Amino acid sequence: MIDPRYYDIIVRPIVTEKSTLAAEQNRVVFEVRKDATKPEIKKAVEAIFGVKVEKVNTLIVKGKKKYFRGKPGRRSDWKKAYVKLAEGYSIDVTSGI
Amino acid sequence: MDITQVAAEGLRREFRVTYGADEIEAEITRRLEEIRRTARIPGFRPGRVPLRLLRARYGQAVLGEVVQKAVEESARRVVEEHELRPALRPRVEITAFEEGRDLELRVDLEVLPEVPEVALGEIELVRHVAEPDEERVQGSLRNLAAARRTFEPVDRPAETGDRVTITFTGTVGGEPFEGGSGEKVQVVLGEGRLLPGFEEALVGRRAGEAFRAEVVVPEDHPREELRGRTVVFEGTVEEVAAPREPAIDDQLAKTYGYENLVELEKAVRERLREEFRRRARERMKRQLLDWLAEHVRFEVPQGMVDLEFRTIWEQLEREMQQSGTDFEKLGRSREEMEAEYRAIAERRVRLGLILAEIGRRHGVEVTGQELQQAMMREAQRYPGREREVLEFFRRNPPALEQLRAPIFEDKVVDLIFELARVREETVTPEELFREEDEEEPGGAAAVAEETAAATGAGAEAEARREGEGGAAAPGRTGEGG
Repeated sequence: MIDPRYYDIIVRPIVTEKSTLAAEQNRVVFEVRKDATKPEIKKAVEAIFGVKVEKVNTLIVKGKKKYFRGKPGRRSDWKKAYVKLAEGYSIDVTSGI
Repeated sequence: MDITQVAAEGLRREFRVTYGADEIEAEITRRLEEIRRTARIPGFRPGRVPLRLLRARYGQAVLGEVVQKAVEESARRVVEEHELRPALRPRVEITAFEEGRDLELRVDLEVLPEVPEVALGEIELVRHVAEPDEERVQGSLRNLAAARRTFEPVDRPAETGDRVTITFTGTVGGEPFEGGSGEKVQVVLGEGRLLPGFEEALVGRRAGEAFRAEVVVPEDHPREELRGRTVVFEGTVEEVAAPREPAIDDQLAKTYGYENLVELEKAVRERLREEFRRRARERMKRQLLDWLAEHVRFEVPQGMVDLEFRTIWEQLEREMQQSGTDFEKLGRSREEMEAEYRAIAERRVRLGLILAEIGRRHGVEVTGQELQQAMMREAQRYPGREREVLEFFRRNPPALEQLRAPIFEDKVVDLIFELARVREETVTPEELFREEDEEEPGGAAAVAEETAAATGAGAEAEARREGEGGAAAPGRTGEGG
């Protein structure tokens, strides 16, 4: 049984042209909780997908500035994680979690 | 793709068509590539979506599409490669399929039989020729006179043949009922348009007199709720008018647009002659069909017979339901009737195929102009709605094709009449109209006989026009009007 807390850390896989490019280097891209740390992300990915993680890079994506009814607003920031998998492992993100 | 014939028996052919797993796979990839060019998926520009993602998303749908296409294609390819002339649309069934495995189909069809060449010159037919006799001509003239009959009010009790004008109320159990009353309704006594018993109550009444009729509604009345009930009609006779038939003279001829009586008589005679000729043609056609059914032997595709049988059987059932009879009332068992109708269906299909074949050998074709004329005739059958009918045909080419069949049949029959050995025989009008039904199993069947061959011939002709590969779909689609 996988600890349900891990599912809270990983929000969703990111499937875009850019993430497809990253997949060529055996990297998978996820949106994660904003306060998740690299070791947490590593553990969560290993537990959920049954793979071995080599390293994790993270970054904060700044929310876009948007105007709503003339008033300025801001979308939430979120954390993106590039997870480098150990050789021989892979995750099929297209099939969903 | 691999086609193997697994069974051939009479006109039936069965094939096994196999598509390799790799063929299916290649086709799926091809389709996905096509989708890829335009697919809009968030996160990707069109054309940049990885195939893997598309496969995950659309794989199942594309697979279904590919299998569907294989099913359609297989029948066409079987017909093409084995150079078959299918009688009906081939049946295709998927016998084995799993993703990543070979797709196996079974294609089942019946081919059109080789219709042996008919030596038309050997057919012997009798054309009955009859001349309208004086009695008939006079009878027609009398009818024409009767149609110009006028009525004049008289002050005497009404007699049969008089026209009475009545105002009345009809009640059932004391309650007036829908459609049971009328004001100043004109009735000609003796024509039997009223419920039986009503007219009798009017005979002998003078204008201004009251009347009362108690009538039991017969069991076959169209309005079910009234059947068997006693209806009381009460009212007054407003007017009694005696008929007055015009004399058969030049005056009468003028009302019909003729110069004088001699001219009218000539026209009447000509019309009768025309009627006799039509009748003679019908009988000759009958002889011809009987001759063909008997002398031209070949195996008939069972599928076509089944189709025809179902059509006429359904028609029979509908008619029986409408007239409220059943097998028991007819004194026949269902099995007996089915066998009978099956025989009729087979005869029809056989005749249809023969006529189609003869037509084909002699290059009989229905021209667009003839089709147009038929369309016009059809439109005239719905007075006031001609435009609608024409519009219907314009939008429904298959319905127009249906008109083609009877024309084709007529042309072929006429052609045979020209080539066959026809002997003329003078008969009396009575003989001409005598029913020759000793060989016909049922009355209803006899009526339907003529169109029989037509539909068969039409379906076949249509199949030919559709081109070599096209499956011969039956020509019955859509309805008129």
